[in-house]
Amino acid sequence: MQAPAQDPRVTTGEPTRSRTWRWTAVTGVALLLLVTIHMVAHHFVVEAVGGLRTYQHVLDYIANPVIFVLESIFLVVVTIHAMLGLRSVLFDFGLSDRHKQLVSKGLVALGVVTVAYGFVLIGVLASRA
Amino acid sequence: MSERRTEDQASGGVEEILRARSAEGPVERKAPGPTAWFDIRRRGTGHFAFSLNRITGLGLVFYLYLHLAVLSQLLGGEASWNGFLETATTPLFLGLDVLLVFGLLAHGLNGLRVALIGSGFVPNRQKALFYTLMTFGAILLIYSAIHVFTAEG
Repeated sequence: MQAPAQDPRVTTGEPTRSRTWRWTAVTGVALLLLVTIHMVAHHFVVEAVGGLRTYQHVLDYIANPVIFVLESIFLVVVTIHAMLGLRSVLFDFGLSDRHKQLVSKGLVALGVVTVAYGFVLIGVLASRA
Repeated sequence: MSERRTEDQASGGVEEILRARSAEGPVERKAPGPTAWFDIRRRGTGHFAFSLNRITGLGLVFYLYLHLAVLSQLLGGEASWNGFLETATTPLFLGLDVLLVFGLLAHGLNGLRVALIGSGFVPNRQKALFYTLMTFGAILLIYSAIHVFTAEG
């Protein structure tokens, strides 16, 4: 009797479907809360057309420590969710294992750059308040 | 595996699509591939919801980077930001804001449905949950659109 083939993802270190799905779901549910806070705080309590803040309003808003932490968490969670989603879409193209690994590594790098740039943006703006 | 792929390709991928559609769990349903997202022939609510999630998801990823680019205007100082605000409050841009809210609601609420069913927190009532959440989303979208266009400065 032939031994069952080992899942190649175990050896390549690629996350299994269930692990990826769980992370996507957890970050997605967290985003429901974070997006709601972000949208309401940014656009629905501001009495201006389009709910957009003036330059000074943005600086004051982002310099608030609670908002600063919430926006930072939002940045990290939304980036993780976006990269996992992109990964799923790209995997739909029926990539080989080698290309899947390349895509995964590329998306990790893109995610790190995105979060780093976001932190620079938030940090610079908060320091100007 | 390669034989199976050849067989599927020969039959236009129908076998692969049928296998994926009958598979357990939400992730397995992805197998038909991106070209199938837009194929709505003889497909059910589940396929429509899945395609909607994919398309809105890609749109939101595009918006994430657009948003970061737009916020970079703040680094240019007050004049740069105020110049952007003038453009951003034109009816065309406000309409795009409403489109963004549509994407967020459709993707978020549909994703919540997938998470609730996939994790086993609620019974598998895909269709009922989909229509309930989309109705809730439509109400929120109408409220948001009215707010975006009528809030006064």
